Amino acid sequence: MNILRYFFLIPLMVISCGLKAENDTLFVPSVRVGLDMSGFARQFVEPETVTGEVSVDVELQENYFAVLEAGMMAVDVKKETHRYQAGGYFFRLGADFNILGRTPENPNDLVLLSLRYGYGTMDHEAPFIVIPDPFWGNHQTALPSEKYRAHWIEAGMGLKTELFHNIFIGWSLRGRLLVASTKDPAMEPYFIGGYGKSNGNTTLMLHYHVLYRIPLR
Amino acid sequence: MQSPCKIPGRAFRTTLMTAALAILLFHSCQDDEICEDLTANNLRIGFYMIDQEDDQWTVVDSLRVFAVEKADQPIHDTLRFISALELPLNPSADSCGFVLDFFHLVDTIWLTYERKTHMVSVECGFTMFFDIKKTVYSTHHIISLEAPMTYVTNDLDEHLKIFLPDTVNGN
Repeated sequence: MNILRYFFLIPLMVISCGLKAENDTLFVPSVRVGLDMSGFARQFVEPETVTGEVSVDVELQENYFAVLEAGMMAVDVKKETHRYQAGGYFFRLGADFNILGRTPENPNDLVLLSLRYGYGTMDHEAPFIVIPDPFWGNHQTALPSEKYRAHWIEAGMGLKTELFHNIFIGWSLRGRLLVASTKDPAMEPYFIGGYGKSNGNTTLMLHYHVLYRIPLR
Repeated sequence: MQSPCKIPGRAFRTTLMTAALAILLFHSCQDDEICEDLTANNLRIGFYMIDQEDDQWTVVDSLRVFAVEKADQPIHDTLRFISALELPLNPSADSCGFVLDFFHLVDTIWLTYERKTHMVSVECGFTMFFDIKKTVYSTHHIISLEAPMTYVTNDLDEHLKIFLPDTVNGN
């Protein structure tokens, strides 16, 4: 339900900003490569989870961006009674639409609506498990490595602003809906690379970006 | 196509930073998972009167329960006036037996099962579920035994029904 709240914001923003053409001369086709900084930020809050992500977007037609995002994740949770490890890769493919008009002062600032398809694959295992039992005593066991795959769709919005010449910073907020995943009755993944924590079929995630723009003419 | 929604550069950057901080606060205020006590996945047994059309609970006056493998340490030492019982299955073996001492008569139940390690959550750890495959029992006081639910998890289902003589009517 939380995600629906954010979906409702998207048409409101589209309506409020309108869709009328004004100044076509400010548009320059470009490629932008970016680094997602939220993985570094997560390290301070959740040191057991390491993620890295890069992105490429191409603006071939004004305000329409084709986007590819890809990355890796690794999880290593060590507790007194168990250890959980996971590692894998993911990619997201989709498009952004800029709803902010270009001005001569700030021709590259963007307010973006995003749609993505995402896919993640990972191996996860629990090499050390202790199940406490007050009567029989502790039982030590392990769960071997299993492959896990997930498909999801996502929608969101974000901002990008040009900090220096062709250097951008920005953030994006994404709501994700898990549409298919491997079913494992023994072990659910803790964190799905590119999707986030796997608490149910929906998740909300914030990304911070640093990007470099390469004009194509 | 270009939209006419214009925001001056300074305002745009201010908005960007304010929104980012607001979202960061929202993000950091989300609750971490709190581990509740892991519910023991005990075998749940109910005592019933034999030869009743509807299963009717019966009350056992006195009962002492041991594990066959740990006879020196009773699981339940003198339970009184009970109609249900919980027993811990051995997570380190594929079978275990329990001695039910009704004080005047003694029976043994032997259970064979498959063990399934199950993750509660990464924060809270793992537990063991059991899938009962076979039950063997003596019939000194016990008349019969049924297993309506063979999968022992952390829910509250009754897994075994033990049928005892109808002592009130002398059957």
